[in-house]
Amino acid sequence: MKLSGQDRIGIATFLLPGLLLFLLFFIIPVVYVFALSFFKWDGLSDASFVGISNYSRILSNSVFRRSVTNNLIWALTATLVQVPLATLMALILNEKPRGWKVFRTVYYLPQVISGVALAMLWQAMYNSEYGFLNGVLKLLGLDHLCHNWLGELNTALPAVLIYWVFYVGYYMVIVMGDLSGIGEEFYEAAEIDGAGKIRQAIHISIPLAKNGIATCVTLAAVLSLRQFEQVFLLTNGGPANRTSTMVLYLYKQLQDLRYGPANASSVMLILLGIAVIMSIRWLFSRWRTI
Amino acid sequence: MTEFTLHKKRNTISSILNVLKWLLIIFFAVYTLFPLIWLVVSSLKTNTELFGSPFALPKEWQFVNYQSAIQVSGMPLMMANSIIVGLASTLINAIISCMLAYCLSRFVFKGRGFIYTLFSAGILVPLNALMVPYFVTINKLGLYNTLIGLIILYSSTGIPMSTIIISGLMDSIPHDIEEAAIIDGCGFYRRFTKIILPLSRNGIMTAATFQFITCWNEFVFANLLTSSQNVRTIQLGIRYFTNQFSTDFVSMYAATVLSIIPSVLLFVVFQNRIISGLGSGAVKG
Repeated sequence: MKLSGQDRIGIATFLLPGLLLFLLFFIIPVVYVFALSFFKWDGLSDASFVGISNYSRILSNSVFRRSVTNNLIWALTATLVQVPLATLMALILNEKPRGWKVFRTVYYLPQVISGVALAMLWQAMYNSEYGFLNGVLKLLGLDHLCHNWLGELNTALPAVLIYWVFYVGYYMVIVMGDLSGIGEEFYEAAEIDGAGKIRQAIHISIPLAKNGIATCVTLAAVLSLRQFEQVFLLTNGGPANRTSTMVLYLYKQLQDLRYGPANASSVMLILLGIAVIMSIRWLFSRWRTI
Repeated sequence: MTEFTLHKKRNTISSILNVLKWLLIIFFAVYTLFPLIWLVVSSLKTNTELFGSPFALPKEWQFVNYQSAIQVSGMPLMMANSIIVGLASTLINAIISCMLAYCLSRFVFKGRGFIYTLFSAGILVPLNALMVPYFVTINKLGLYNTLIGLIILYSSTGIPMSTIIISGLMDSIPHDIEEAAIIDGCGFYRRFTKIILPLSRNGIMTAATFQFITCWNEFVFANLLTSSQNVRTIQLGIRYFTNQFSTDFVSMYAATVLSIIPSVLLFVVFQNRIISGLGSGAVKG
């Protein structure tokens, strides 16, 4: 369609507010953290250029390094455990067993409950005195397995990490979207060839849901890297910074008015995110399907 | 004979698979629901009951916990703040995103592909990494500790996602309708309000539902950009429950349950939109 004069003016006016806000809240902030990561600044006095010293400072900081490691563990758990579980459940519910819609709703539920409320809930689950988990263990006579789950050095990270791994609804729904688009004829052909359910899943469903799975893996990795609320509310990074994440580290730097290291860790987070997204894209592009 | 054993073997495998399937289905359902049910039941106990027998049902259902939850937490104000922020930013976000989506979906112009790429990338930007610039910008605008600051931030950060959802739906509207309207002398703006907007109702509702739930549940920036009690949103409120209720755990749980209800209700009402929105690739950057 050829654009009329009115169309041109209309497009310009319609794009303007949205693009301005995008500029203000996406592009400028990203440029800002990159630029300011080379300065020392406390938010009050003038900023002074310090080269890469913010980077060398955070990279040699053990808390920051621990945070990066935690984020990577988190991302690996999400992509290698949570997404495969979600895919499995998508395959199962795609067969439309009795009540599948109800189960889909139930699995998705944690997604609409806020991270704060979930943290509150799991704080109660993990509580050492009246918590659910220790309660179950005592009931089974396994008192010696009881822990102060969020307070002990060895259990804190697994505790903040594990509970959401089994919340698979979000990724399951995305994969189901792809699965529902696969034509019956593929399965009928496989049936005639004598392929059972498992082989049908491996050779038809999963390859044809590749895009959805790739989306889930990307989202899972990205969401793991920006993890903040759960650790902030459950442990605040403790005990002994065992559960710190990059964003929590950044937040604490900001609280201490150390904007330079805060921005440097933002940049590290963004770059790590880009690297992870690129490698996921690359991996999936090498996965040849039908 | 061999045909028969093969058949039998198949049957055993498929019944084992069937059992496994249901074990998984039930495991995930119990895992999701049980803690929530436990929270609701605990919120109706006395504190002594909670400590004494965490799994038993309460002797008498303590609905009074909910009353004290509302009184102690100052919940009505926080709910009101969250509703104001949620509705205002959903409305602003929807208007701006519809305008963007209309241009991107219905016209071919220079830079269109670039904007799509920017927005797809925007969905994946880790907003948490932008705490410092957001903090500085909102302060500079004089909007620290105001609901308006949150509204502007939420409506803006939701733009890429909403625009992509809405334009995805607009793409499916046939061009003939517009061409007929152009012949009838319908201009740029009339085509938007009279034809495209009404036909994209579903996409707009999906985007708006996502946006509202996201705003309702948002914690990080509400925590960063406000400090006083009169602008506190409900999510921030939950965080302070631990201080406010100190050892009155059951009332704290009651308050938490109350805070969850609105978004869960919204989800139950609009779940088909949310699920079809996700399934149709709204988030595929």
